[in-house]
Amino acid sequence: MHKKTLGSSILSAIIYVIMILWALCVLYPLVWSVFGSLKDNQQFLLKMPWSLPEWPLLWENFSNVWTNYNVGTYFMNSLIVTIVSTVLALLLSSTTAYVIARFKFTGSQALYNLYLASMMIPLILGLIPLFFLLTDLHLSNTLMGLILVYTAMNVSFGVFVLVGFFKTLPKELDESASIDGSSDYGVFFRIMLPLARPGLISVGIMNILNIWNEYVMGTVLVNDPSKYTLPIGIAVMQAEMQYRTEWGPLFAGLLLSIIPVLVVYFIFQRQITSGMVAGAVK
Amino acid sequence: MNWKTKRKLFIFVFTVPTLLFFCLFMIYPIVQGLYVSFFDWSGGSETKTFIGFDNYKEMLNDPIIGHAIYNDYFLVFWKVIGIVGLGIFFAVAVTRFRLKGAGFFRQVFFIPNILSVVVIGVLWNYIYNPSIGFLNSFLSLFTENKVEISYLGDEAYAMWSLLPPAIWAGVGFVMVLLVASILNIPAELYEAANLDGASQWQQFTRITMPLTWEQIKVSILWVVMTTLNGSFVIVWIMTEGGPDNATQVMGSYLYQMGFRQFHMGYASAIGALILVLSLITTLALQRIMRRDTHEMS
Repeated sequence: MHKKTLGSSILSAIIYVIMILWALCVLYPLVWSVFGSLKDNQQFLLKMPWSLPEWPLLWENFSNVWTNYNVGTYFMNSLIVTIVSTVLALLLSSTTAYVIARFKFTGSQALYNLYLASMMIPLILGLIPLFFLLTDLHLSNTLMGLILVYTAMNVSFGVFVLVGFFKTLPKELDESASIDGSSDYGVFFRIMLPLARPGLISVGIMNILNIWNEYVMGTVLVNDPSKYTLPIGIAVMQAEMQYRTEWGPLFAGLLLSIIPVLVVYFIFQRQITSGMVAGAVK
Repeated sequence: MNWKTKRKLFIFVFTVPTLLFFCLFMIYPIVQGLYVSFFDWSGGSETKTFIGFDNYKEMLNDPIIGHAIYNDYFLVFWKVIGIVGLGIFFAVAVTRFRLKGAGFFRQVFFIPNILSVVVIGVLWNYIYNPSIGFLNSFLSLFTENKVEISYLGDEAYAMWSLLPPAIWAGVGFVMVLLVASILNIPAELYEAANLDGASQWQQFTRITMPLTWEQIKVSILWVVMTTLNGSFVIVWIMTEGGPDNATQVMGSYLYQMGFRQFHMGYASAIGALILVLSLITTLALQRIMRRDTHEMS
């Protein structure tokens, strides 16, 4: 007998209200930063925070923050660092993952354990030595320095997920290919990598989000404003707000750093959620 | 070259460059961090003196360390309650109660999980802003006088004020993790329970909870790990550990000691402390929760 009582409808209604309230809590700060990015200081100081921006909308906050506050530079830095590190991390982690998943050799398990264990270690412990290492290598205050560190930070996650992925691919495929005369390299690049594409996309998207959003390493390793990435630039802008209050440009800058992430999210939702789940269930 | 040598070379080429790279930029800094914790060192190449465990002894007498550890576990405790509690609630809501727009809620609730902590910190700093922020303006609607609480500037409120942004940012992930495992539970179990007249609450405690316990455990460990290893960022963006050390956590204290006061050795010892505490905590939690599984099965 199916029970659809008054009590359970009330329960459903209450749950529904709570869900809507939480959705508002999530969305409202975002909507509101859109409003904020179109206001001038006057409106921030005199109007309610939830008031709509007044006509004419201040679209120039965006061009202003892009050029006069160097957000354009930060954006391009973030873009370069994210793309290059992601490609490098994918290359380094997929090669190692493939070998660990497919070949038996001395130390393969130890290698896997090393990458796995390093995911549990707080990165902040290595922060100070990294700072001096990059200084010694003349890589502090360079995008190259950030790229190397971000690549290394994302290798173990890639190894972990991709080992699992390569193990699921049928063994017969590479066996028959090597019988046909393909070298190990040919099998990997021409057969295995294309087959592993879903796994690579999942790992790649996670790397992109991690690197685009990274702040701690960046703020320590880079002190030259022309080399800031977006999170560092936004954090510095916020700190400077105590002296010159320019809310509109700050929100415009904030949005410029959020929009790419939102776009990636709405295109690759499934890969992102499954990637995060894989990362947590290690 | 014969086949075997070629295969060996292949394995070498595919593992060693990655390993060298990884060791240089990940393993070496971590090991070096532990090593430096035994030195009195202000940074740079000069004046590095070996002092054994003195940095660790100094930590024992440093009241801020104790306070920072307390703050870290304060965050761990309330974040587990808030994030895992709400995460379970929302996961059950979108799966067991056939709500309209369940897919929409899942998508929206996850959004904060993909944002940079910097973005989250700046947004919430504005919500908390004493004069032009959302929260005070909202509260002022209900009072005669304008509310002017300084949420992050007042020692009494500062730690509590760090919780809403942290919970806001974490709930979506736990929800997604649990939705996946609830959807894996065979529908017949719930149908049978319905036939027996089991209430929603009974179905939750007898079916959903036991069968998703593995994922709930993962969620708890995830919150604990990310908090102990990473709460520094939100603290740094929102309060820099202030006012008067009120929101200092181990990570922010490390940063302050290392890069503001240039006690690199002492800062590294704090890093070692973070490592040890997060290992002990996760191991202890795993042990406690493993026992729970036995009792339930």
